[in-house]
Amino acid sequence: MEADRASWLSSPVGRVLPLVLIGLLWQGASSSGLVNPAFLPSPARIGVAAYDLLTGREIRDNIFITLWRAGLGLTLGSIAGIWLGLMMARSEVFRAYAAPVVGGTYSLPKSALIPLFILWFGIGTATTVCAVFLACLLPMVVNTAQGVSSTPRVLVWSAEAFGTQPRAMLWRVYLLHAMPDIFAGLRVALGFSFVLAISSEMIASTNGKLIFMYGENGAYDYMFAAIACVVVVAFLADRLLLMLTAKSLRWHESARGSS
Amino acid sequence: MNRAMTAKAVTQRGLFIRSMISVLVIVAVWEAAARAGLVSALFLPPFTKVMAEWWSVCADGSLLLDLSVSLSRAAVGLGLATAIGVPLGIAMARSRLLHWLFDPVIALAFPSPKIAFLPIFILWFGIYSLSKILLVAFACVFPVLIGSFAAATSVNRVLIWSATSMGTSNAGVLFRILLPAAWPRIFAALRVALPVSLITTFTAEMVSGGGGMGATLMYSQRFFESPTVFAYILTMLGVGLLLDFVMMKLQAASAWSQPA
Repeated sequence: MEADRASWLSSPVGRVLPLVLIGLLWQGASSSGLVNPAFLPSPARIGVAAYDLLTGREIRDNIFITLWRAGLGLTLGSIAGIWLGLMMARSEVFRAYAAPVVGGTYSLPKSALIPLFILWFGIGTATTVCAVFLACLLPMVVNTAQGVSSTPRVLVWSAEAFGTQPRAMLWRVYLLHAMPDIFAGLRVALGFSFVLAISSEMIASTNGKLIFMYGENGAYDYMFAAIACVVVVAFLADRLLLMLTAKSLRWHESARGSS
Repeated sequence: MNRAMTAKAVTQRGLFIRSMISVLVIVAVWEAAARAGLVSALFLPPFTKVMAEWWSVCADGSLLLDLSVSLSRAAVGLGLATAIGVPLGIAMARSRLLHWLFDPVIALAFPSPKIAFLPIFILWFGIYSLSKILLVAFACVFPVLIGSFAAATSVNRVLIWSATSMGTSNAGVLFRILLPAAWPRIFAALRVALPVSLITTFTAEMVSGGGGMGATLMYSQRFFESPTVFAYILTMLGVGLLLDFVMMKLQAASAWSQPA
Protein backbone atom coordinates (compact mmCIF):
# COMPACT_ATOMS: atom_id res chain seq x y z
CA MET A 1 0.00 0.00 0.00
CA GLU A 2 2.78 2.39 1.04
CA ALA A 3 4.84 1.38 -1.97
CA ASP A 4 1.79 1.78 -4.23
CA ARG A 5 1.22 5.33 -3.11
CA ALA A 6 4.87 6.20 -3.48
CA SER A 7 5.07 4.84 -7.02
CA TRP A 8 1.89 6.70 -8.00
CA LEU A 9 3.35 9.93 -6.62
CA SER A 10 6.54 9.53 -8.62
CA SER A 11 4.63 8.85 -11.85
CA PRO A 12 4.53 11.71 -14.38
CA VAL A 13 0.99 12.67 -13.29
CA GLY A 14 1.99 12.65 -9.63
CA ARG A 15 5.00 14.81 -10.35
CA VAL A 16 2.97 17.47 -12.15
CA LEU A 17 0.36 17.56 -9.37
CA PRO A 18 2.27 19.96 -7.04
CA LEU A 19 2.61 22.44 -9.90
CA VAL A 20 -1.12 22.17 -10.60
CA LEU A 21 -1.87 22.70 -6.89
CA ILE A 22 0.31 25.82 -6.80
CA GLY A 23 -1.41 27.10 -9.94
CA LEU A 24 -4.86 26.57 -8.40
CA LEU A 25 -3.86 28.29 -5.14
CA TRP A 26 -2.44 31.17 -7.13
CA GLN A 27 -5.59 31.42 -9.25
CA GLY A 28 -7.73 31.28 -6.10
CA ALA A 29 -5.74 34.00 -4.35
CA SER A 30 -5.98 36.12 -7.47
CA SER A 31 -9.71 35.74 -8.17
CA SER A 32 -10.68 36.21 -4.51
CA GLY A 33 -8.76 39.49 -4.49
CA LEU A 34 -6.24 38.38 -1.84
CA VAL A 35 -3.40 39.65 -4.02
CA ASN A 36 -3.52 42.69 -6.22
CA PRO A 37 -3.73 41.45 -9.84
CA ALA A 38 -1.58 44.40 -10.87
CA PHE A 39 1.29 42.85 -8.90
CA LEU A 40 0.55 39.20 -9.61
CA PRO A 41 -1.72 38.48 -12.57
CA SER A 42 -3.66 35.23 -12.30
CA PRO A 43 -2.37 32.16 -14.18
CA ALA A 44 -5.43 32.31 -16.44
CA ARG A 45 -4.59 35.85 -17.56
CA ILE A 46 -0.93 34.94 -18.02
CA GLY A 47 -2.05 31.95 -20.09
CA VAL A 48 -4.20 34.16 -22.32
CA ALA A 49 -1.29 36.61 -22.68
CA ALA A 50 1.12 33.78 -23.48
CA TYR A 51 -1.23 32.46 -26.17
CA ASP A 52 -1.46 35.95 -27.61
CA LEU A 53 2.34 36.31 -27.56
CA LEU A 54 3.03 32.96 -29.17
CA THR A 55 0.51 33.46 -31.97
CA GLY A 56 1.67 37.02 -32.57
CA ARG A 57 4.50 37.65 -35.01
CA GLU A 58 6.60 40.20 -33.19
CA ILE A 59 7.31 38.12 -30.13
CA ARG A 60 7.92 34.92 -32.03
CA ASP A 61 10.65 36.72 -33.91
CA ASN A 62 12.09 37.92 -30.62
CA ILE A 63 12.19 34.43 -29.15
CA PHE A 64 13.83 33.02 -32.28
CA ILE A 65 16.44 35.79 -32.29
CA THR A 66 17.32 35.07 -28.66
CA LEU A 67 17.48 31.33 -29.27
CA TRP A 68 19.56 31.76 -32.41
CA ARG A 69 22.10 33.96 -30.62
CA ALA A 70 22.27 31.63 -27.62
CA GLY A 71 22.59 28.60 -29.91
CA LEU A 72 25.32 30.13 -32.06
CA GLY A 73 27.35 31.19 -29.00
CA LEU A 74 26.85 27.78 -27.40
CA THR A 75 27.94 25.88 -30.52
CA LEU A 76 31.05 27.99 -31.14
CA GLY A 77 31.93 28.02 -27.43
CA SER A 78 31.58 24.24 -27.12
CA ILE A 79 33.71 23.48 -30.18
CA ALA A 80 36.46 25.87 -29.09
CA GLY A 81 36.16 24.68 -25.49
CA ILE A 82 36.53 21.00 -26.37
CA TRP A 83 39.57 21.77 -28.51
CA LEU A 84 41.21 23.92 -25.82
CA GLY A 85 40.43 21.41 -23.09
CA LEU A 86 41.90 18.59 -25.17
CA MET A 87 45.06 20.60 -25.81
CA MET A 88 45.39 21.52 -22.13
CA ALA A 89 45.02 17.93 -21.02
CA ARG A 90 47.44 16.54 -23.61
CA SER A 91 50.21 19.14 -23.39
CA GLU A 92 51.83 20.21 -20.12
CA VAL A 93 53.41 23.24 -21.76
CA PHE A 94 50.17 24.41 -23.35
CA ARG A 95 48.43 24.00 -20.01
CA ALA A 96 51.07 26.03 -18.23
CA TYR A 97 50.55 28.90 -20.65
CA ALA A 98 46.75 28.64 -20.81
CA ALA A 99 45.97 27.91 -17.15
CA PRO A 100 46.21 31.47 -15.80
CA VAL A 101 44.08 32.82 -18.65
CA VAL A 102 41.43 30.12 -18.18
CA GLY A 103 41.55 30.47 -14.37
CA GLY A 104 41.30 34.24 -14.58
CA THR A 105 38.36 34.33 -16.96
CA TYR A 106 36.66 31.46 -15.13
CA SER A 107 36.10 33.54 -12.01
CA LEU A 108 35.20 36.70 -13.92
CA PRO A 109 31.46 37.29 -14.10
CA LYS A 110 31.02 37.09 -17.87
CA SER A 111 28.19 39.60 -17.88
CA ALA A 112 30.76 42.20 -16.75
CA LEU A 113 32.21 41.95 -20.25
CA ILE A 114 28.93 42.96 -21.91
CA PRO A 115 29.64 46.72 -21.59
CA LEU A 116 33.06 46.08 -23.11
CA PHE A 117 31.55 44.13 -26.03
CA ILE A 118 29.02 46.93 -26.55
CA LEU A 119 31.96 49.30 -26.77
CA TRP A 120 33.70 47.04 -29.30
CA PHE A 121 30.88 45.63 -31.39
CA GLY A 122 28.00 47.97 -30.74
CA ILE A 123 24.51 46.88 -29.78
CA GLY A 124 23.27 43.72 -31.45
CA THR A 125 23.98 40.14 -32.33
CA ALA A 126 27.80 40.21 -32.14
CA THR A 127 27.80 41.44 -28.53
CA THR A 128 25.38 38.75 -27.36
CA VAL A 129 27.08 35.96 -29.27
CA CYS A 130 30.51 36.94 -27.88
CA ALA A 131 29.22 37.01 -24.31
CA VAL A 132 27.51 33.63 -24.72
CA PHE A 133 30.61 32.21 -26.45
CA LEU A 134 32.92 33.16 -23.56
CA ALA A 135 30.49 31.96 -20.91
CA CYS A 136 30.10 28.56 -22.62
CA LEU A 137 33.79 28.20 -23.43
CA LEU A 138 35.05 27.87 -19.86
CA PRO A 139 32.93 25.02 -18.48
CA MET A 140 33.66 23.10 -21.70
CA VAL A 141 37.44 23.65 -21.35
CA VAL A 142 37.50 22.63 -17.70
CA ASN A 143 35.28 19.56 -18.13
CA THR A 144 36.98 18.32 -21.30
CA ALA A 145 40.43 18.73 -19.72
CA GLN A 146 39.30 16.82 -16.66
CA GLY A 147 37.73 14.02 -18.68
CA VAL A 148 40.68 13.64 -21.03
CA SER A 149 43.35 13.74 -18.34
CA SER A 150 41.54 11.10 -16.29
CA THR A 151 41.75 8.56 -19.15
CA PRO A 152 43.07 5.32 -17.58
CA ARG A 153 46.53 4.38 -18.80
CA VAL A 154 45.30 0.85 -19.44
CA LEU A 155 42.95 2.15 -22.15
CA VAL A 156 45.77 4.11 -23.78
CA TRP A 157 48.16 1.16 -23.62
CA SER A 158 45.70 -1.31 -25.09
CA ALA A 159 44.79 1.08 -27.91
CA GLU A 160 48.49 1.55 -28.64
CA ALA A 161 49.06 -2.18 -28.52
CA PHE A 162 46.33 -2.60 -31.15
CA GLY A 163 48.24 -0.15 -33.31
CA THR A 164 45.97 2.90 -33.06
CA GLN A 165 47.53 5.93 -34.73
CA PRO A 166 48.21 9.01 -32.52
CA ARG A 167 45.60 11.02 -34.43
CA ALA A 168 42.98 8.32 -34.01
CA MET A 169 43.86 8.09 -30.31
CA LEU A 170 42.38 11.56 -29.77
CA TRP A 171 39.03 10.64 -31.27
CA ARG A 172 38.75 7.03 -30.31
CA VAL A 173 40.29 7.02 -26.84
CA TYR A 174 40.70 10.39 -25.17
CA LEU A 175 37.62 12.24 -26.42
CA LEU A 176 35.45 9.15 -26.18
CA HIS A 177 36.53 8.62 -22.58
CA ALA A 178 35.79 12.29 -21.82
CA MET A 179 32.26 12.12 -23.28
CA PRO A 180 30.40 11.98 -19.92
CA ASP A 181 32.38 14.99 -18.67
CA ILE A 182 31.84 16.83 -21.94
CA PHE A 183 28.08 16.31 -21.68
CA ALA A 184 28.15 17.49 -18.05
CA GLY A 185 29.98 20.62 -19.20
CA LEU A 186 27.49 21.08 -22.02
CA ARG A 187 24.63 21.11 -19.52
CA VAL A 188 26.33 23.87 -17.52
CA ALA A 189 27.11 25.76 -20.72
CA LEU A 190 23.50 25.47 -21.88
CA GLY A 191 22.34 27.16 -18.66
CA PHE A 192 24.96 29.89 -19.07
CA SER A 193 23.96 30.49 -22.69
CA PHE A 194 20.41 31.39 -21.64
CA VAL A 195 21.57 33.58 -18.75
CA LEU A 196 24.03 35.50 -20.90
CA ALA A 197 21.75 35.83 -23.91
CA ILE A 198 18.97 37.26 -21.75
CA SER A 199 21.25 39.47 -19.62
CA SER A 200 22.87 41.00 -22.63
CA GLU A 201 19.54 41.63 -24.30
CA MET A 202 18.26 43.24 -21.10
CA ILE A 203 21.35 45.44 -20.84
CA ALA A 204 21.43 46.50 -24.45
CA SER A 205 19.68 45.33 -27.53
CA THR A 206 17.35 46.59 -30.18
CA ASN A 207 15.39 43.39 -30.36
CA GLY A 208 15.07 40.25 -28.33
CA LYS A 209 14.41 42.21 -25.13
CA LEU A 210 11.01 40.65 -24.86
CA ILE A 211 10.55 40.97 -21.12
CA PHE A 212 11.32 44.57 -20.30
CA MET A 213 9.36 45.87 -23.24
CA TYR A 214 6.09 44.83 -21.61
CA GLY A 215 7.22 45.67 -18.07
CA GLU A 216 7.89 49.26 -19.06
CA ASN A 217 4.47 49.57 -20.68
CA GLY A 218 2.79 48.26 -17.54
CA ALA A 219 1.40 45.24 -19.42
CA TYR A 220 2.35 42.98 -16.55
CA ASP A 221 0.42 39.92 -17.68
CA TYR A 222 2.46 40.01 -20.89
CA MET A 223 5.67 40.45 -18.90
CA PHE A 224 4.83 37.42 -16.75
CA ALA A 225 3.88 35.46 -19.88
CA ALA A 226 7.21 36.28 -21.53
CA ILE A 227 9.11 35.15 -18.42
CA ALA A 228 7.03 31.97 -18.29
CA CYS A 229 7.96 31.29 -21.93
CA VAL A 230 11.66 31.70 -21.04
CA VAL A 231 11.31 29.27 -18.12
CA VAL A 232 9.54 26.68 -20.28
CA VAL A 233 12.04 26.98 -23.14
CA ALA A 234 15.01 26.65 -20.75
CA PHE A 235 13.39 23.65 -19.07
CA LEU A 236 12.69 21.91 -22.39
CA ALA A 237 16.21 22.57 -23.67
CA ASP A 238 17.66 21.12 -20.47
CA ARG A 239 15.45 18.00 -20.72
CA LEU A 240 16.30 17.58 -24.40
CA LEU A 241 20.01 17.67 -23.60
CA LEU A 242 19.54 15.13 -20.80
CA MET A 243 17.73 12.80 -23.20
CA LEU A 244 20.45 13.26 -25.80
CA THR A 245 23.09 12.53 -23.15
CA ALA A 246 21.35 9.35 -22.07
CA LYS A 247 20.99 8.25 -25.70
CA SER A 248 24.59 8.89 -26.72
CA LEU A 249 26.10 7.50 -23.53
CA ARG A 250 24.12 4.26 -23.63
CA TRP A 251 27.37 2.33 -23.98
CA HIS A 252 28.83 3.96 -20.89
CA GLU A 253 28.91 2.46 -17.38
CA SER A 254 27.12 5.48 -15.93
CA ALA A 255 24.07 4.68 -18.05
CA ARG A 256 23.64 1.34 -16.35
CA GLY A 257 21.74 1.23 -13.07
CA SER A 258 20.58 4.83 -13.10
CA SER A 259 17.59 5.56 -15.26
CA MET B 1 63.49 10.36 -3.10
CA ASN B 2 65.11 13.70 -2.40
CA ARG B 3 66.24 14.12 -5.98
CA ALA B 4 62.82 13.17 -7.28
CA MET B 5 61.32 15.85 -5.08
CA THR B 6 63.66 18.57 -6.28
CA ALA B 7 63.00 17.53 -9.87
CA LYS B 8 59.29 17.90 -9.22
CA ALA B 9 59.83 21.27 -7.55
CA VAL B 10 61.75 22.47 -10.57
CA THR B 11 59.01 21.52 -13.01
CA GLN B 12 56.49 23.11 -10.66
CA ARG B 13 58.52 26.29 -10.78
CA GLY B 14 58.88 25.91 -14.53
CA LEU B 15 55.11 25.71 -14.89
CA PHE B 16 54.70 28.72 -12.62
CA ILE B 17 57.19 30.72 -14.70
CA ARG B 18 55.34 29.78 -17.90
CA SER B 19 52.06 30.89 -16.33
CA MET B 20 53.60 34.22 -15.39
CA ILE B 21 55.04 34.56 -18.88
CA SER B 22 51.65 34.10 -20.51
CA VAL B 23 50.06 36.77 -18.29
CA LEU B 24 52.96 39.14 -18.94
CA VAL B 25 52.77 38.53 -22.70
CA ILE B 26 49.06 39.38 -22.74
CA VAL B 27 49.64 42.58 -20.78
CA ALA B 28 52.61 43.51 -22.99
CA VAL B 29 50.71 42.90 -26.24
CA TRP B 30 47.79 44.90 -24.86
CA GLU B 31 50.03 47.80 -23.88
CA ALA B 32 51.96 47.74 -27.17
CA ALA B 33 48.84 47.52 -29.35
CA ALA B 34 47.26 50.43 -27.51
CA ARG B 35 50.40 52.61 -27.49
CA ALA B 36 51.19 51.95 -31.14
CA GLY B 37 47.70 53.10 -32.06
CA LEU B 38 46.73 49.76 -33.63
CA VAL B 39 43.44 50.03 -31.80
CA SER B 40 41.66 53.16 -30.74
CA ALA B 41 42.17 54.16 -27.09
CA LEU B 42 38.40 54.25 -26.86
CA PHE B 43 38.24 50.51 -27.52
CA LEU B 44 41.37 49.47 -25.69
CA PRO B 45 43.11 51.99 -23.44
CA PRO B 46 46.75 51.14 -22.60
CA PHE B 47 47.18 48.86 -19.59
CA THR B 48 49.22 51.47 -17.69
CA LYS B 49 46.44 54.00 -18.16
CA VAL B 50 43.90 51.49 -16.85
CA MET B 51 46.08 50.88 -13.78
CA ALA B 52 46.43 54.63 -13.21
CA GLU B 53 42.66 54.97 -13.44
CA TRP B 54 42.27 52.02 -11.08
CA TRP B 55 44.57 53.71 -8.58
CA SER B 56 42.66 56.97 -8.78
CA VAL B 57 39.22 55.35 -8.27
CA CYS B 58 40.75 53.45 -5.35
CA ALA B 59 42.21 56.64 -3.90
CA ASP B 60 38.99 58.66 -4.07
CA GLY B 61 37.08 55.79 -2.46
CA SER B 62 34.49 55.37 -5.22
CA LEU B 63 35.65 51.87 -6.14
CA LEU B 64 35.63 50.73 -2.51
CA LEU B 65 32.16 52.16 -2.00
CA ASP B 66 30.80 50.38 -5.12
CA LEU B 67 32.57 47.17 -4.15
CA SER B 68 31.18 47.22 -0.61
CA VAL B 69 27.65 47.87 -1.91
CA SER B 70 27.88 44.97 -4.40
CA LEU B 71 29.57 42.55 -2.03
CA SER B 72 27.11 43.21 0.77
CA ARG B 73 24.17 42.60 -1.59
CA ALA B 74 25.77 39.37 -2.81
CA ALA B 75 26.60 38.27 0.75
CA VAL B 76 23.11 38.95 2.16
CA GLY B 77 21.53 37.19 -0.84
CA LEU B 78 23.82 34.18 -0.51
CA GLY B 79 23.20 34.12 3.25
CA LEU B 80 19.44 34.06 2.68
CA ALA B 81 19.81 31.30 0.09
CA THR B 82 21.88 29.26 2.57
CA ALA B 83 19.40 29.85 5.40
CA ILE B 84 16.56 28.58 3.21
CA GLY B 85 18.31 26.09 0.97
CA VAL B 86 20.29 24.01 3.47
CA PRO B 87 17.40 23.25 5.90
CA LEU B 88 14.95 22.67 3.06
CA GLY B 89 17.40 20.41 1.21
CA ILE B 90 17.97 18.30 4.33
CA ALA B 91 14.23 18.22 5.07
CA MET B 92 13.56 17.05 1.50
CA ALA B 93 16.02 14.21 1.97
CA ARG B 94 14.23 13.19 5.19
CA SER B 95 10.60 13.67 4.18
CA ARG B 96 8.99 12.01 1.19
CA LEU B 97 6.08 14.49 1.23
CA LEU B 98 8.35 17.54 1.05
CA HIS B 99 10.35 15.89 -1.69
CA TRP B 100 7.17 15.20 -3.70
CA LEU B 101 5.99 18.76 -3.19
CA PHE B 102 9.18 20.62 -4.05
CA ASP B 103 10.92 18.37 -6.57
CA PRO B 104 8.82 19.42 -9.62
CA VAL B 105 9.16 23.09 -8.69
CA ILE B 106 12.94 22.74 -8.48
CA ALA B 107 13.11 20.72 -11.70
CA LEU B 108 11.29 23.53 -13.49
CA ALA B 109 13.09 26.46 -11.82
CA PHE B 110 16.66 25.13 -11.68
CA PRO B 111 17.50 25.33 -15.41
CA SER B 112 15.69 28.64 -15.91
CA PRO B 113 17.79 31.81 -16.23
CA LYS B 114 16.99 33.61 -12.96
CA ILE B 115 17.98 37.00 -14.32
CA ALA B 116 14.82 36.90 -16.45
CA PHE B 117 12.82 37.26 -13.22
CA LEU B 118 14.43 40.64 -12.48
CA PRO B 119 11.44 42.65 -13.82
CA ILE B 120 9.12 40.75 -11.46
CA PHE B 121 11.41 41.41 -8.51
CA ILE B 122 11.59 45.09 -9.44
CA LEU B 123 7.80 45.22 -9.71
CA TRP B 124 7.36 43.63 -6.29
CA PHE B 125 10.28 44.95 -4.27
CA GLY B 126 11.24 48.24 -5.91
CA ILE B 127 14.41 49.18 -7.72
CA TYR B 128 16.64 49.52 -4.65
CA SER B 129 18.73 46.93 -2.84
CA LEU B 130 15.85 44.70 -1.72
CA SER B 131 14.94 43.47 -5.21
CA LYS B 132 18.59 42.71 -6.01
CA ILE B 133 19.22 40.89 -2.74
CA LEU B 134 16.11 38.76 -3.19
CA LEU B 135 16.99 37.99 -6.82
CA VAL B 136 20.46 36.85 -5.68
CA ALA B 137 18.83 34.67 -3.02
CA PHE B 138 16.45 33.26 -5.65
CA ALA B 139 19.33 32.50 -8.03
CA CYS B 140 21.52 30.90 -5.34
CA VAL B 141 18.89 28.93 -3.46
CA PHE B 142 18.58 26.22 -6.15
CA PRO B 143 22.22 25.10 -6.31
CA VAL B 144 22.40 25.23 -2.49
CA LEU B 145 19.13 23.31 -2.15
CA ILE B 146 20.09 20.62 -4.67
CA GLY B 147 23.59 20.31 -3.16
CA SER B 148 22.24 19.98 0.39
CA PHE B 149 19.64 17.45 -0.72
CA ALA B 150 22.27 15.34 -2.48
CA ALA B 151 24.59 15.66 0.53
CA ALA B 152 21.92 14.59 3.01
CA THR B 153 20.80 11.67 0.80
CA SER B 154 24.38 10.42 0.54
CA VAL B 155 24.79 10.17 4.32
CA ASN B 156 25.22 6.51 5.23
CA ARG B 157 21.86 5.21 6.52
CA VAL B 158 23.60 2.88 8.94
CA LEU B 159 24.94 5.91 10.81
CA ILE B 160 21.42 7.30 11.20
CA TRP B 161 19.94 3.93 12.15
CA SER B 162 22.59 3.22 14.80
CA ALA B 163 22.16 6.67 16.30
CA THR B 164 18.36 6.31 16.42
CA SER B 165 18.54 2.82 17.88
CA MET B 166 20.85 4.12 20.61
CA GLY B 167 18.18 6.65 21.53
CA THR B 168 19.42 9.81 19.78
CA SER B 169 16.62 12.35 19.39
CA ASN B 170 15.61 13.77 16.01
CA ALA B 171 17.46 17.00 16.75
CA GLY B 172 20.47 14.97 17.83
CA VAL B 173 20.44 13.06 14.54
CA LEU B 174 20.26 16.34 12.65
CA PHE B 175 23.04 18.18 14.46
CA ARG B 176 25.33 15.29 15.38
CA ILE B 177 24.99 12.95 12.39
CA LEU B 178 23.41 14.55 9.31
CA LEU B 179 25.02 17.99 9.35
CA PRO B 180 28.59 16.86 10.14
CA ALA B 181 28.44 14.00 7.62
CA ALA B 182 26.88 16.13 4.88
CA TRP B 183 28.93 19.26 5.57
CA PRO B 184 31.74 18.79 2.98
CA ARG B 185 29.25 18.39 0.14
CA ILE B 186 27.07 21.25 1.40
CA PHE B 187 30.16 23.42 1.43
CA ALA B 188 30.95 22.37 -2.14
CA ALA B 189 27.45 23.55 -3.11
CA LEU B 190 28.09 26.89 -1.40
CA ARG B 191 31.31 27.22 -3.39
CA VAL B 192 29.27 26.78 -6.57
CA ALA B 193 26.69 29.33 -5.40
CA LEU B 194 29.25 32.04 -4.54
CA PRO B 195 30.10 33.06 -8.14
CA VAL B 196 26.38 32.82 -8.98
CA SER B 197 25.70 35.42 -6.28
CA LEU B 198 28.40 37.74 -7.66
CA ILE B 199 27.26 37.38 -11.27
CA THR B 200 23.61 37.95 -10.38
CA THR B 201 24.45 41.03 -8.30
CA PHE B 202 26.61 42.60 -10.99
CA THR B 203 24.12 41.85 -13.77
CA ALA B 204 21.13 43.13 -11.77
CA GLU B 205 23.04 46.34 -11.06
CA MET B 206 23.88 46.70 -14.73
CA VAL B 207 20.26 46.32 -15.76
CA SER B 208 18.52 48.36 -13.09
CA GLY B 209 21.24 50.64 -11.68
CA GLY B 210 21.05 51.68 -8.05
CA GLY B 211 24.77 51.86 -7.26
CA GLY B 212 27.36 49.12 -6.97
CA MET B 213 29.98 47.77 -9.37
CA GLY B 214 27.58 46.90 -12.19
CA ALA B 215 25.84 50.27 -12.18
CA THR B 216 29.09 52.25 -12.33
CA LEU B 217 30.41 49.94 -15.04
CA MET B 218 27.37 50.63 -17.24
CA TYR B 219 27.51 54.34 -16.46
CA SER B 220 31.18 54.55 -17.47
CA GLN B 221 30.49 52.61 -20.66
CA ARG B 222 27.68 54.99 -21.65
CA PHE B 223 30.02 57.93 -21.28
CA PHE B 224 32.84 56.09 -23.09
CA GLU B 225 35.16 56.25 -20.07
CA SER B 226 37.02 53.15 -21.24
CA PRO B 227 39.79 53.16 -18.59
CA THR B 228 37.14 53.04 -15.85
CA VAL B 229 35.33 50.20 -17.65
CA PHE B 230 38.54 48.17 -17.76
CA ALA B 231 39.49 49.06 -14.17
CA TYR B 232 36.11 47.83 -12.92
CA ILE B 233 36.25 44.63 -14.99
CA LEU B 234 39.74 43.87 -13.66
CA THR B 235 38.52 44.49 -10.11
CA MET B 236 35.61 42.07 -10.61
CA LEU B 237 38.07 39.50 -11.95
CA GLY B 238 40.32 39.97 -8.91
CA VAL B 239 37.42 39.73 -6.46
CA GLY B 240 36.16 36.56 -8.14
CA LEU B 241 39.60 34.95 -8.01
CA LEU B 242 40.21 36.01 -4.41
CA LEU B 243 36.84 34.80 -3.10
CA ASP B 244 37.17 31.46 -4.87
CA PHE B 245 40.67 31.07 -3.41
CA VAL B 246 39.33 31.80 0.08
CA MET B 247 36.48 29.30 -0.39
CA MET B 248 38.98 26.68 -1.62
CA LYS B 249 41.14 27.18 1.49
CA LEU B 250 38.08 27.06 3.77
CA GLN B 251 36.93 23.90 2.04
CA ALA B 252 40.31 22.26 2.57
CA ALA B 253 40.36 23.38 6.21
CA SER B 254 36.87 22.06 6.92
CA ALA B 255 37.35 18.78 5.07
CA TRP B 256 38.05 16.77 8.23
CA SER B 257 35.19 14.41 7.48
CA GLN B 258 35.74 14.30 3.72
CA PRO B 259 35.42 10.74 2.48
CA ALA B 260 38.63 9.75 0.75
